[in-house]
Amino acid sequence: MLLLQNARIASENSPVLLESDVLFVEGKIQDIGSGLAVPKGARVIDARGRVLMPGMFDAHVHFRAPGFENKETITTGSEAAINGGVTGVVMMPNTRPAIDSAAVVATVLENAKHRSRIPVYTSGCVTKNRDGKELAEIEGMHRLGVTMLTDDGDTTNDPAVLLRAMQYATEFGMFFASHCEVPELAGPRALNEGVMSYRLGIKGSPACAEEIIIDRDIRLARAAGAHVHIQHVSSKEGMETIRWWKSRGDVKVTAEVAPHHLLFTDEHIGDYDTNYKMNPPLRTQADCDALLEGLKEGVFDLIATDHAPHTPFEKAQDFVSAPNGITGLETALVSLYHFFVRPEKFGWDLVVKRYSAEPRRLMGLPIPTIEVGQPAECILFDTEAETTFTQDFMKSKSQNTPFIDQTLKGRVDLVILGSEILLER
Amino acid sequence: MARKDLLDIASLHREEIEFLLDQSTSFKKLFTRSVKKIPALEGKSVLMLFYEASTRTHSSFEVAAKRLSAEVTNFDVAHSSITKGESVRETIETLQAMRTDYIVVRHSHPGLPGMIARQTTASVINAGDGAHEHPTQALLDAFTIKEKFPDPRGKRVLIIGDILHSRVARSTSTLLQKLGVEVAYLGPGSLVPKYVPESIRRFTDYEAAMAWAPDVVYLLRVQMERQDVQFFPSVREYHRVYGITTARLAEIRDKGLYIMHPGPVNRGVELCDAVMDYERSLITNQVENGISIRMAVLDWLTPGGDFPKQEAYNAQQKASSPVIVP
Repeated sequence: MLLLQNARIASENSPVLLESDVLFVEGKIQDIGSGLAVPKGARVIDARGRVLMPGMFDAHVHFRAPGFENKETITTGSEAAINGGVTGVVMMPNTRPAIDSAAVVATVLENAKHRSRIPVYTSGCVTKNRDGKELAEIEGMHRLGVTMLTDDGDTTNDPAVLLRAMQYATEFGMFFASHCEVPELAGPRALNEGVMSYRLGIKGSPACAEEIIIDRDIRLARAAGAHVHIQHVSSKEGMETIRWWKSRGDVKVTAEVAPHHLLFTDEHIGDYDTNYKMNPPLRTQADCDALLEGLKEGVFDLIATDHAPHTPFEKAQDFVSAPNGITGLETALVSLYHFFVRPEKFGWDLVVKRYSAEPRRLMGLPIPTIEVGQPAECILFDTEAETTFTQDFMKSKSQNTPFIDQTLKGRVDLVILGSEILLER
Repeated sequence: MARKDLLDIASLHREEIEFLLDQSTSFKKLFTRSVKKIPALEGKSVLMLFYEASTRTHSSFEVAAKRLSAEVTNFDVAHSSITKGESVRETIETLQAMRTDYIVVRHSHPGLPGMIARQTTASVINAGDGAHEHPTQALLDAFTIKEKFPDPRGKRVLIIGDILHSRVARSTSTLLQKLGVEVAYLGPGSLVPKYVPESIRRFTDYEAAMAWAPDVVYLLRVQMERQDVQFFPSVREYHRVYGITTARLAEIRDKGLYIMHPGPVNRGVELCDAVMDYERSLITNQVENGISIRMAVLDWLTPGGDFPKQEAYNAQQKASSPVIVP
């Protein structure tokens, strides 16, 4: 039994934080109210001033297993998630072997069951080995619970292949997540085409490389009657393309935005800092501003981090050689608070809606709430404490994040899942 | 005033540039003497680390180092562990253990010389990193221009060709602007990016560019090897639209314009054969001046001492990041 006293409760439905006591018994919320009596044997935590909210859910993470366990494993990845207040994740299938068959899905899920303290779901590839040519064995993966199909890391470049996959898999109730990028336009180097790419002497990737595929994949989904989810949108025009298609209402489209695309621009790359190298690349302040508007407006259904760990050795190479991606699970919630909630650019209700409820809706999962009778899946967040993202703090195997050694306002103090307290600070 | 490394033009101060150009003048006087060698760098070692093919820059640095009495070692990339998959970082750790004084590096990846500089006590000289910078080329270009225009302020230099892939265009335009020279770019729309700095005029039409009245026409080599897609239909069409044809040379001669080119020249593409005999062609002067400029640079840099380790550098980058401020 656990009693949190005077917590401020956040929900997706209201910008107002309700102050209340919350009693947890046997993994469920048994009572909510002010001045609840302390049951015999209950542990009491004074949560005054701190925010209680459902655990976050990240629908876009790379746990690198199987194949790249030197970067991350299911264990270290899920511990990083807990460290950041995230209680469920969806893995991307760009592993080695790629998660493109029932056999690999079964192995991954079996591992996850034993090696993670939070639910780990996996997406499956659209095509075998993500090579964009032959369809993966989709139904076999579906039988094991896979609902999201994606060749993430790359676009399924042949539209005919993707259209056939959509026509086929939609019949099983599956949906498609699209990494949007025309490879011939984007080239191998993850840097926005613009003033910065000229200055650094790196051929840039124009925003249109992303926008073309956003539009293409939505059109394909419309033709197939499929649901397409647009991943990690980085450009203003990309956001506006999604907005336009959503306003038409004749195709099911959802979309996500990553915290780094809201926070950083290509200017941050400075003198070739590889912790700002990601795909899609960081763009301009105008793009950041538009993405923020898109998030507030609901063009983006959810926030997802694209948590992409790499070893220090890989990231210590020169900018061209270093791999794309930054970690995000441990920094997302604190940075969203520090840069957006605290300066009142949006409220906790948006965080809960976009980073906890909507990603679970996308995946067809039950949505935890702070209500009587609900299973306990929640976190306690201290808005006055600080978090310093030192190497010791990080639970991920990799620390390739611009936030390394930075201190931000806000701290995840407690993570509760069922009868377990997964984290307590 | 001396620095450990020369990585770019962008960070050079005006006084440093003037100093190097003055020093180059002094070193050039040596060339007419029967003994061209001085003991300035006696006992110092210079490592030539060229990951990309080069004839004139490589030999120019080698001659410059030897005229200063330094020992020169050529790192044979083709026969090194790099071919066995060794990373640049590992190579640098090995080279650091050898305690060389100078590393002259050329690589196709932008920013790589800076990465090396942060990991070694050696003075690192960027001899060209991808499409980023080629600082000694810029210095020799400025020196060559100053020989003709001692006060180059207000003079106009038109750089023609593949700006997108050109480290020469970036470095030389930056340096010339620091000296008060006006710079314009001319080339196909596919090779002159729309987002070049506003201080640089951008032309895609030859006649319009010539109407801007340049004093120097600086031709860039068309680098077919860097073009992973087709940027213009054919070299024949390029020569007709952007090249110095025989007819255009006559106009240039009439106007008394100087012609420069960093070499090697693609005859019949950037320029017609006759340009090579044009009395105001400064192409040979550029080669000669390359040696004295590189002597000045080697003599100016100060190897050794503390070097900013990568980790410290990264922390410094983060500290200066404008977003991560509470």
